[in-house]
Amino acid sequence: MRIYNLDGLLKKYGEQFLILEFNHLFVSSSIREEVWLHQRKNDLALIDRIIQEAAEFNMNEVDADRDFETYSGGQKAILACLLTLALIRTRKTGGLKLLQNNILNSVSDENRLKLMQIFEKVRASHDVRLFTQKDDHLIEIFTGNDHSQK
Amino acid sequence: MIIPKNKYKLQNRNLLFDVVDDFDFNSRNACHYFRGGNGFGKTSFLEKVIIPALNAAKRDYLYIGQDIRTQLYTLKALLSIQGHKVSETDEYELLRLWVHQSQSARIFILDEFDKYFPDYSFIFDWTESFIQNYIIVTHQRLDPIGIVAKSLKATHVRFELIDLDGHVKNVRVRKE
Repeated sequence: MRIYNLDGLLKKYGEQFLILEFNHLFVSSSIREEVWLHQRKNDLALIDRIIQEAAEFNMNEVDADRDFETYSGGQKAILACLLTLALIRTRKTGGLKLLQNNILNSVSDENRLKLMQIFEKVRASHDVRLFTQKDDHLIEIFTGNDHSQK
Repeated sequence: MIIPKNKYKLQNRNLLFDVVDDFDFNSRNACHYFRGGNGFGKTSFLEKVIIPALNAAKRDYLYIGQDIRTQLYTLKALLSIQGHKVSETDEYELLRLWVHQSQSARIFILDEFDKYFPDYSFIFDWTESFIQNYIIVTHQRLDPIGIVAKSLKATHVRFELIDLDGHVKNVRVRKE
């Protein structure tokens, strides 16, 4: 029985999905660095958007240069989602399929609801679809449809 | 080991806990479930209040943290050094081996382990004979349903944000 099967996850879904995985949320160590890597510039508007949205999750202490390791596990999961969603909106990326793995169950009920509301907005405006794995089934969140390959 | 009601300040984590109940981790067949919002200090309370108190009281404990990736690497190395052949061993078996050889422990701490195993009743089955007290951080609303888990006296502990003093979060910790 595997608890943590990153290789399996990438092999199965890596080509079709952008995977948000709890144990691999970021490449770098801060929001500013992460934005640099994606935007190749110090995109202050994007950083500001993430910080402002984080405040809606009672995260008033978020700072562009604060080390991710100083946030709680749930807060890191929220920041990773906000970063991803902010990038999608800034770049006007359409038709993306996101697979979340141990993200939504790392946050409180209240914060999960808030996150889902933002995902729902981006789904509507950018045709972004959100998936999760459950007992080896690939489930689309919002529709509940099972997309497992038969 | 008792964590008395008191105020506990974690300066470098910007947290001030107002613990309004005594927490007794000496009792047998008990389970404390910690719940609360993200960033309200559940893990910090474990690592900076409870675990130092356990160390001071010289009480053996097992702790599975949220970052299971690092822990599994460490576990694999530890078991290899002890002579176990673990190269082909899956994580479930690694945990079972580790738990099996940790029978001096009396407290088991699980920090959001349920995100890896929504039903983690096997942990209670493995440890029923020696663990007296479980401390579980969870976002699940329901407690585990296994026979051993259900036989434990459950104490539900809530972490709630009272206010912000600058960057310092004042968090009340209370029994529900």
